[in-house]
Amino acid sequence: MGRSRISVIAAMLAAASLLTAGCGQGLLDGGSNSGGDEGPITLGMLIPQSGSEAAIGPYMKNAAQLAVDEINGKGGVLGRKLELKVADDACDAQTAVAGANKLVTEGIKVSVGGYCSGATLPTLPVFGKANIPMIIPAANSQELVDQHLKHVFLINGTGTQQATAAMAWMTKQGATSVALVHDNTSYSKDIAVRTQKLLDEAGGPETAILEAVTPKESDYSANIHNILAKKPDFVYWTGYFQEGGLIIRQLRQAGYKGSVMVGDGAVSEKLAEIAGGDAAEGVYATMTQTPETLQGAEAWIAAYKKKFNADPGPYSNQAYDGVRLAAEAITKAGSTDGDKVIAALEAVDGFPMFSGPLKFTADHTLSTGGFQILVVKSGKFALQDALK
Amino acid sequence: MTAPAPAPAPARPRRGTALGRATSRLFDSRWAGLAGLAIAVLAPFVIATPYALSVMTSAAIFVMLASGLNIVVGFCGLLDLGYVAFFAVGAYTSGVLSTRLGLPLVATVPAVIAVTVVAGIVIGAPTLRLRSDYLAIVTLGFGEIIRITANNLDVTGGPSGIYGIPGLTGSPVVFYYLVVVVVSVAVIGASRLGRSRLGRAWRFVREDEDAAEAMGVHTYRVKLAAYIAGAVWGGLAGVLFAAQLSAISPGSFTFLQSALVLMAVVLGGMGSTPGVVIGAIVISLLPEVLRDLADYRFFAFGVLLILVMLVRPQGLWPHRSREAGS
Repeated sequence: MGRSRISVIAAMLAAASLLTAGCGQGLLDGGSNSGGDEGPITLGMLIPQSGSEAAIGPYMKNAAQLAVDEINGKGGVLGRKLELKVADDACDAQTAVAGANKLVTEGIKVSVGGYCSGATLPTLPVFGKANIPMIIPAANSQELVDQHLKHVFLINGTGTQQATAAMAWMTKQGATSVALVHDNTSYSKDIAVRTQKLLDEAGGPETAILEAVTPKESDYSANIHNILAKKPDFVYWTGYFQEGGLIIRQLRQAGYKGSVMVGDGAVSEKLAEIAGGDAAEGVYATMTQTPETLQGAEAWIAAYKKKFNADPGPYSNQAYDGVRLAAEAITKAGSTDGDKVIAALEAVDGFPMFSGPLKFTADHTLSTGGFQILVVKSGKFALQDALK
Repeated sequence: MTAPAPAPAPARPRRGTALGRATSRLFDSRWAGLAGLAIAVLAPFVIATPYALSVMTSAAIFVMLASGLNIVVGFCGLLDLGYVAFFAVGAYTSGVLSTRLGLPLVATVPAVIAVTVVAGIVIGAPTLRLRSDYLAIVTLGFGEIIRITANNLDVTGGPSGIYGIPGLTGSPVVFYYLVVVVVSVAVIGASRLGRSRLGRAWRFVREDEDAAEAMGVHTYRVKLAAYIAGAVWGGLAGVLFAAQLSAISPGSFTFLQSALVLMAVVLGGMGSTPGVVIGAIVISLLPEVLRDLADYRFFAFGVLLILVMLVRPQGLWPHRSREAGS
């Protein structure tokens, strides 16, 4: 036994030392990392490529790639090319943390991803430790803002800004009694609760009911019954389109005649399809700019279509802007050093983006949310009011 | 609960071939465990990138979860489809205590053990009268209840969960080694429990509950003990999980997680400690290895799992009974 033990240990140590010498990424190698000051500057992007939100991934990835190619076509940044590395977060916390660590390992300089808030939240300390600035194009839950981390910048409107836009439109429409319906996910509840706070302030419409539904059910008549018992004249659904379509259909079937509005998660043509017939006609939505509602973006949409042979989708424009903003900040900073890029991002003033000239607030969010009101016309979302 | 001296078992090959004997001897060897530990300890010397460390830490935590479920399913034969509930209870207890009361994470461990024991009793006491399928359905319900409760309570942060949980150590390397130590102790502990007097009672219950009862085994108490042990293992894995991710939300504790842990146990070989460790490592590393396949990642994952189960239905490293005459 004794001899076999020694030989086993010896063999193991030998194998380990061989591997160490061969690989050069172990503990004893002093943590030398790829991505130094030579070669391309890499940007990392965590997006859902699998799981429930996988449909969003390509829209964001393609748009970011488009921006990278355009910038490289003009000579790159600081005389170096840009390179985009994409990792899957599957909209899941654990996968996202592994993906974030993978990107850090690959030596990215700026993170330009983040769609699901729940998956983005645990990646903040991962990028923070590596001093990598994050420009988050889509995820927008208030928890991302509340930690006041200096490396985190949000270029999508926040829940507070969406609630403000919803409040402005409900007041404009002369609503008196509003039913808020959410699906108990972080994003949806956040908007509903913030809208409720605004409604509870004196003046304007009042909250009729704050109703939570369970996602992925096939019948919401119990919830509809609760809502209609309070006789609202305005219903605001803050969840996603699958449940939204069903709720709209059942509301109409139950004889509800008032206005319905949905949040940005429900803005999809599927909403009207699920609602069926013309049940969704005239439904309003609070939404940031999408490629369809952007004014003066025809050239950009054409370039996107030409390159990927597909239409841009939700958050394509934000992902595109995120990459451009990262390039701008690195250029201004004159370096890829995390602290300098963060300082450059804080100093950005009037950088042209689809959502308007950019200037970050002290919270590192957009100073103007860029939310607008859409309306469903013959099954498609069209611009109703830019709330300017 | 006297731990018997783990005498090197006489190799008892079931198949007569020389190859069968050789593999059997290898499987029974205690060196396998030491070799596994050595690989875990030496791995960071080979590759210590943040990504590798994060993946290895997750894998180690998953090993702990699987060895906990192995106590319940593998040793005692109680099919638990809601095991992730205990994981959630542990993660949330430590998360809530550390963020709301400002306790260091280590200080929450006694509370986590107490709460998971209570959780084990709460689910165990009323449900252990049920058998097989019925028990599975109730545990499935329990898993969902815990997740939906966490989703609706204010103290757990509702759907967005808890964030800003302090880590256990500053450096990911130190944390990895800490996890390896904790998980090793947990795996060895589970394995020793399985070979103790209680462990033999568990296996008796698994093989034939009525016969066990007739022979004087207090089946109710024995099954409850399995539940409580499994709950504590799961809860402590939850503490490590919270420390690793720094943010937890109900989305991490879905039925899919329970199913994956169960899959690790079945894939490795129910009741076999080395099997379950390997099963857990395969289940947690495979999706990362397949990451480059992007859209086809889980498709490939599923196909590989089906292939393994077709080729080795008894598990990668099946359990071999050490008792004479079996």
